[in-house]
Amino acid sequence: MSQALVAGVVVGGIYGLMALGIVLVYKGARVLHFGQGEIGTLALFVAWWVVDERQGLGQPWLLGAAAAVVAAAAVSLVFERLVVARMVEASRLAIGVATVGLLLFLFSLELKLWGASPKYLAPPIEGLGPRVAGLHVSPTQVLALVSAAAIGLGLTAFLRRTDFGLGVLGAAQDPAAARLVGVPLARVSVFTWVVAGVLAAVAALLVEPTIGVFTAGFMTRFFVFALAAALIGGLTSLPGAFAGGIVVGILDQTVQYWSLGVPVPGLSVLAVFALILLVLLVRPQGLLGRAAA
Amino acid sequence: MSSPIVSIKGLRAGFGPTTVLHGVDLAVGPAEVAVLLGLNGAGKSVTLRVAAGLIPAWAGTVRLGGEDVTTLPAEARVGRGMAHVTQGRHVFPGLTVEENLRLGAYTLRRRDRSRYAAVLDSVLDRFPRLADRRRQLAGTMSGGEQAMLAVGRALMANPRVILVDEPSAGLAPAAADALVETLRGVHRSGVAMLLVEQNVTFALDLADTVHVMRQGTVVHSAPRQRVDQDRLTAELGIGRLLKGGTR
Amino acid sequence: MRPARRQVVVGAVVIAATVLPPLVSRVAPGFLDELLALRLAQAAAFAAMALSLNLLMGYAGQISLGHGALLAVGAYTSGILTGRFGLPFVAGLAAAAVLGGAVAFVVGLPALRLRGLYLAITTLGLLLVMQESILQIPWLSRGSAGVALPRPVAGDFVFTRNADFLALVLVVVIVLWLVDANVTRTRLGRAFRGLREDEQVAASRGVDVARHKLLAFLLSGAMAGVAGCLHGHLLRFVDSRTYDLNLSLLLVAVVVIGGLGSRLGVVLAGVGFGLLPEILRAITPAAEGWDHLLGAALLIVAMARHPEGVAGAITEARHAKAARQARAGVAESAPTEIPRLPELPRPAGAADRPAVAPGEALLEVRDLTVRFGGLTAVDHASISVPAGRIVGLIGPNGAGKTTLFNAVGGFVRTASGTVHLGGQRIDHLPPHERAARGLGRTFQRVGLARDLSVRENLLLSQHAICRYSAVAALGFLPGAARTEAEAGERADLAIAAIGFERFADMPAKHLSGGMQRIVEMACALVTAPELLLLDEPSAGMAPGAVENLAIRLRDLRDALGRTLLLVEHNVPLVLDVCDEIWVLHAGRVIAHGTPDEISRDPTVVEAYLGRNVPAEPVS
Repeated sequence: MSQALVAGVVVGGIYGLMALGIVLVYKGARVLHFGQGEIGTLALFVAWWVVDERQGLGQPWLLGAAAAVVAAAAVSLVFERLVVARMVEASRLAIGVATVGLLLFLFSLELKLWGASPKYLAPPIEGLGPRVAGLHVSPTQVLALVSAAAIGLGLTAFLRRTDFGLGVLGAAQDPAAARLVGVPLARVSVFTWVVAGVLAAVAALLVEPTIGVFTAGFMTRFFVFALAAALIGGLTSLPGAFAGGIVVGILDQTVQYWSLGVPVPGLSVLAVFALILLVLLVRPQGLLGRAAA
Repeated sequence: MSSPIVSIKGLRAGFGPTTVLHGVDLAVGPAEVAVLLGLNGAGKSVTLRVAAGLIPAWAGTVRLGGEDVTTLPAEARVGRGMAHVTQGRHVFPGLTVEENLRLGAYTLRRRDRSRYAAVLDSVLDRFPRLADRRRQLAGTMSGGEQAMLAVGRALMANPRVILVDEPSAGLAPAAADALVETLRGVHRSGVAMLLVEQNVTFALDLADTVHVMRQGTVVHSAPRQRVDQDRLTAELGIGRLLKGGTR
Repeated sequence: MRPARRQVVVGAVVIAATVLPPLVSRVAPGFLDELLALRLAQAAAFAAMALSLNLLMGYAGQISLGHGALLAVGAYTSGILTGRFGLPFVAGLAAAAVLGGAVAFVVGLPALRLRGLYLAITTLGLLLVMQESILQIPWLSRGSAGVALPRPVAGDFVFTRNADFLALVLVVVIVLWLVDANVTRTRLGRAFRGLREDEQVAASRGVDVARHKLLAFLLSGAMAGVAGCLHGHLLRFVDSRTYDLNLSLLLVAVVVIGGLGSRLGVVLAGVGFGLLPEILRAITPAAEGWDHLLGAALLIVAMARHPEGVAGAITEARHAKAARQARAGVAESAPTEIPRLPELPRPAGAADRPAVAPGEALLEVRDLTVRFGGLTAVDHASISVPAGRIVGLIGPNGAGKTTLFNAVGGFVRTASGTVHLGGQRIDHLPPHERAARGLGRTFQRVGLARDLSVRENLLLSQHAICRYSAVAALGFLPGAARTEAEAGERADLAIAAIGFERFADMPAKHLSGGMQRIVEMACALVTAPELLLLDEPSAGMAPGAVENLAIRLRDLRDALGRTLLLVEHNVPLVLDVCDEIWVLHAGRVIAHGTPDEISRDPTVVEAYLGRNVPAEPVS
């Protein structure tokens, strides 16, 4: 049980990272970024190609991870500049569909370049890990926990402490007012989309070792769970998204743990879905969200 | 009058198929308060929003201190000394008072960071209420305080002219009075103002010059002392009410 | 298209769809081999899926990101019934439709509370539940990975060949198309599109918003069940991964690219995506295997360049000329004159309406209070409106005039007080039932369905008096056809009255603001309401038009004894046109009387002009 709790917090932190990206883009552009998960998967493929000794370059994990993050940032940047930036006047739905296009494009690209067979990316640190209060916490879990917390805190600090970060927050709350104090909205947009892509890449790198292998579409399920987390947090609240991630992670892992041997499949998914419905029907603006005007 | 801070000539603009401004001409001199009056839908707020760069002009020019800024984006006009207090006092509700003020100085801090502290002090001096509430979230303040914050945030850009859109709308009378005093103080410190206001008393209290708009054009401009009262009351549709007249 | 000609065309298309594929594949197999037949049938099934999602998303504006879940319901249902229990294909198809509709109905229930993306994400969650939980129940697939779906059997004939099955798929798709066409030409489709554009406006025109949202889910689900069933029997085997998120999202993309709400556009986009590999291969053999990649790239480019979709681009082009005319011709910003407003008799089916003698109170608001959080917008206000009079409601900004209107219309929750219309208490009724009892209104921001044409708006406004069942609508049965014809006549009379024949088929959004106001008033009057609430009718009108408006409003009162209640900023107009006036300030009624009395009342002047205003405001 406690083991499941630890796993839940770890996975939840990763959901939280993805959810941060979802909320950033949603706040900034009022769009759900469906391509985000697949950017993470693409980043995994890049990392695998850099790291893998037989089919790839055989470089160290850290270099692979760096390449993955760069690739995710580059894809996001290109997409923002070539597509999103040109759709200022378009309906939000149209931009959402364009991100669906990105999802399908990356999915097909991965299949085309690397095929359908599952890939194995060696974890950054091997071994059983330290025992903390009688529980095994694997190095992968420690890495995931530390990275998620560090990135979450770092992002918060950036947004609150720098002028540009404050501008990003302000633009999300009131774009017209942000323009009127001189915040360059175009650069804010680039920032949000690139950060969302990078967060997806980091989440993918952290979550992959808990599963072991991946194929195209690997991040889809995590994206949906992260979406649930963002929704539970209110879809517009950054701390809410992260907290929502932890809640979803713990629920997911504990239900999985308890339902071993129960002959009803997919109970954890059912539980998360029930939680979404419950939160939305009782408090439609989410736990930490502001009521929409 | 010396050369104007803001001069608008032949301005046309609108939404989709609807033309709202049919050639607006007006000017705001240095340290002058110009007030736009008119019925709902006359185009007052649209004039302000085009001047600020939030709505594109279809024709005509907007000059700021002699420079043609008609095609400049809104954010670039701020850096050149034009601040805007929008209708509904759009403060950033999820940011604190101090963060709101810091964002107001976004362009100032990029140009000359060293002046930020002084400007912040002067704004907080002017608005002691804000100084008391530096750490409070702007969205949790009263309407009157948000109005003060919106004006304070505009001043943080160290502007030459402020565009103010219906500052008294939705404020309790006491808060509106306080706001008039504030704006008068801003005026005295030498900042020019272009003000749109429904509350005639409020507007005439502050105005140096009055411009009356109807159907997307300015139909009457005069210094406050020489406003044609019959014309003003007729344009605003309140003449008969004021004179107790009947049909 | 005239009915007789329409029947001939439909008959010819059905015969062609039935005969051509089997015939061509046997006579000239080079033109239609089994692979091509499979691809064509897949494309047709894909079009059926897109039609289903278009009904929900394009018409009713409810986004579903998990439509695959409904397709899976259809395929699994039919597969289990026909494959395991040996029922005929027709039974599987019917069950797929019923179960698809039922599941969608349940999915739609949260839609009564949730909007937009929140709802969309729950549909996505349902898809994941379907894939990871429900479809994994061992009983469904009996331990195998999925469900096998046998090809249909008719007597001794089995639809083994793809070309034969293609004919069957085509016929079903044609039926779906016809049903969908019946949706759009009846009150059903107008109600869907009305609630998509503005739920408040739709409700004020008599549309039961909750009921029609659920109906849209139900119909869309039934169509999705049918589409899933066809698709499953075509593939012969489906599993939980067949209808995944990527497919669901691709469907959304197809509907948007085809143009939300455009039947033809959506079917073309669906077929286009279904046949993309064939099309690419026809262009260059080198494209083999790149179809998915190119398709996705195409999708991004299409969205970036034509966010309105294919149909949107076509419609814009078609109406561009008319829109330019509207812009340049009749009225650049606002018409200088208001045309005669429609003076139509009370409709036949208006039995619920109250009968009140002129001069007696038609509307009676007593002690009404409305609070928003801590703010009291309307504070124990009581007003009454006598039948056959024009009554004004004035007051400074924020006095609570529009809130009072909304309370009368049923759009805000009241904290206390009662509202009676013609002696019947209506404050417990939902907005659409108040509309059915003869309450009409206009909105400050112009209450029109912007994407609907002028004529469609006038038809939508008759929702409460067009009474026929949803089933009659789907089959376009004689009762529905007759009622539609009557409603059409009424709409045409209203268009003729305001002289808008040239703009009858133009989307309302292409009209100038002033023209939209005129159309809106025609919409409010087309059902000959007992009481018409006008919210700022003169806003944005030229002074000439305002004077003219007064004449038109008096016409309504004098010619037909209509009762009007108007909220207005334009005080001269109110003083000019009203028989009596109520003055609201800070949510309270502060004065009531004739225009003469009101204009002499010092408290009114004071309230209106802010603080301590002297008799002469300018020193």
